Amino acid sequence: MNFDYTDEQKLLKDSVQRFVADHYALENRIKLASNAPGFSADHWKTFAELGWLTLTFDEAEGGFGGDQVDTMIVMEEFGKGLVVEPFLASIVLGGGAVRRGASKALREAVLPGVMDGSIQLALGYAEEQARFDLDDVVTSAREDGDNYVLNGTKSMVLNAETADFIVVSARTSGGQVDTDGITLFLLDSTSDGVERTNFPTVDGLRASEVKLTNVRVPKEGVLGEVDKGYDILNAVAIDGILAIAAEAIGAMEILYKDTVEYTQQREQFDHPLSEFQVLQHRMVEMFMEYEQCKSLLYRATMETAQGSPGAERTVHALKHLIGKAGAFIGENAVQLHGGMGMTEELRIGHYFKRLLVIDLQFGNSDHHLQKFAA
Amino acid sequence: MDIELSAEDLGFRDEVVSFFAENAHKDGEDYNQWRMDWFAKAKDKGGWDVPKWPTQFGGPGWSPTQHYIWEQETAIHATPWDMPFGLGMLAPIVMNYGNEAQQKRFLPDIRARKVNWCQGYSEPGAGSDLASLRTKAVLSEDGTYYTVTGTKIWTTMAHIADWIFCLTRTDDSGRKQEGITFLLFPMNQDGIEVTPIITLGGAHSVNTVHITDVKVPVENRIGEEGKGWTYAKGLLQHERTGLAGVSRSLVALESLKDQARTIARGNSTLMDEPAFKAKVADLEVDLMALEFTELRSLASASAGAAPGPESSIMKLKGTEIQQRIQKLTVEAGGLYSAAWGATSVGPSFARAGMGGYLASRGYTIYGGASEVQKDVIAKNVLGLKKSTSVQTSKENGRNSS
Repeated sequence: MNFDYTDEQKLLKDSVQRFVADHYALENRIKLASNAPGFSADHWKTFAELGWLTLTFDEAEGGFGGDQVDTMIVMEEFGKGLVVEPFLASIVLGGGAVRRGASKALREAVLPGVMDGSIQLALGYAEEQARFDLDDVVTSAREDGDNYVLNGTKSMVLNAETADFIVVSARTSGGQVDTDGITLFLLDSTSDGVERTNFPTVDGLRASEVKLTNVRVPKEGVLGEVDKGYDILNAVAIDGILAIAAEAIGAMEILYKDTVEYTQQREQFDHPLSEFQVLQHRMVEMFMEYEQCKSLLYRATMETAQGSPGAERTVHALKHLIGKAGAFIGENAVQLHGGMGMTEELRIGHYFKRLLVIDLQFGNSDHHLQKFAA
Repeated sequence: MDIELSAEDLGFRDEVVSFFAENAHKDGEDYNQWRMDWFAKAKDKGGWDVPKWPTQFGGPGWSPTQHYIWEQETAIHATPWDMPFGLGMLAPIVMNYGNEAQQKRFLPDIRARKVNWCQGYSEPGAGSDLASLRTKAVLSEDGTYYTVTGTKIWTTMAHIADWIFCLTRTDDSGRKQEGITFLLFPMNQDGIEVTPIITLGGAHSVNTVHITDVKVPVENRIGEEGKGWTYAKGLLQHERTGLAGVSRSLVALESLKDQARTIARGNSTLMDEPAFKAKVADLEVDLMALEFTELRSLASASAGAAPGPESSIMKLKGTEIQQRIQKLTVEAGGLYSAAWGATSVGPSFARAGMGGYLASRGYTIYGGASEVQKDVIAKNVLGLKKSTSVQTSKENGRNSS
């Protein structure tokens, strides 16, 4: 048993930490989030130069060969800065599906660009009727000569607006909620019949509804085997959950620490707020929830990285707790900041909003509790 | 004890419902004209434009049951937009502590909805601990006017208000609850600057009001100099019960259920999912109880008794329930609750759901933070001494206007 990072991991953490400290003052983040494309192309270039975009890819293919622990390190630091660059969408999600499922030829065509930052990816996994179920897929893919023809709408696709390629799940056989019969496709986002409706999300990121009307994808664009895409999708979703859970941990740390600091400065009734026992206890609870989340994050991340049996169940436990504790910590950070907590001026509101969205991504707290209990 | 409505009460309900039906806003009708006509007609009904005002000031003199019926029906039917500050907060102070000239001068315009008021209480350094306010009012040598300078914050609707009622400090030599003076002055004059505060849901309703050397004639002082805290304090309790929003929550809970029924889950809907259903039921139980807590409070008030312990519970429980409804709305919207901005995607309620949830976080802060409310109950209802770790103020605190 060892919870220490390797020297290499410590360097990685330091370098992300430095980047966040140098570039992610709240006003910079707000500026990036409120102007197209919703992130900084320069930052993205920096990510590429520092090798972060290679993190999850095989060494044989020019990658860093990292596992979920490495992603966790990066995402936790990103969470502290509320980083808006599409690392999650392009590297963890889109990249995760491509590296797991694409043919050698396709990987060679796409991954070098992903790793040098010139190609961006996205993952369209959700559909409106599916709510949080990955296996509820009505987008259809029909075989037609050398192509598949896709029809349907993928919901709330992160980074679809700037993605060059979008990985989508579509049904090639089976009923609406069968895990068998789901196939993953890598489609060029500029293909005929791809219509993107782009919009901001409440946490300052951007997403799209991606409507597919008779979109032709060549058979080489199938990731993994036909009808057998669910396992890849599920593995990518687990990576996604671990990544946003790490991001949530970073955000929670800022929220509880900012609250502790604020209550020491703010005086009411001739005392700093921090001297009121009822507020002290609340902050202790926020801190304990944060630590508990961190423990489950470590447990789920290491179990997944090491392929332990039962890892998936731990991931459900983690996502449940992150949602529940995230709301608790965020709501109380606002409450203890009083009226100031309700403004866009302080950073805590922005971290709170990111935690709210993290709960909604890849299934909310209730959804995962049910999966855990099942 | 009897919970049946009497024939008379049922008759009153019918009358209220038909009044709302007859005077409903029609498509294409000018809103402001309709609003003014609506209040005029409500006045003709015998004070229905000012339900809570005492009869000597033109109120209808309703029984608690009639107030309850009115509140229930106003939550269901579309009634004109109204601002609570003049009508519900300033007017009772003017009635109780203002002189006859002030009553004649201010009450008719409040009643006619001609003048919009905002409440200048909280300050950057005086939130929950309102009595530490520092906005300074200095009486001129000839004793005819005050010069007011200071900053008010969280001032709701200051950007559309014509006048402000303001707590100012005229003396800082004694206890901080003493030396506070209640002044009224127009917003549209040199020396007043209103800056918007954008809150988490993206809305602009609260503001910072900077006041610099504004001259206020002594005729605009309510009651005696230095006694403003006493005048304002009685009203805070009033503001708090008003913030419970029971009828609104009953309506909101029903729409939540309707919304959840639009979210298909296999052959049924989200409303049939055990975990979601249980949370809605849990909420409904609390709301059922609160509905009667409010009725008990109304009944004891009408019997002339001092507000009982029930009234202290109203703001705490009521705001908590409102927040839980908002939170479940976000849950019902699923991933789509994250969508923001003007583009409409997913279930139609999702966009408003997130905005409503974020705004609702302020409910347990504004109008006296929950922690302060609990201190008040501990001290005034349970008769507990101050907690040993810290001595809090002896007076009720509050936050926001």
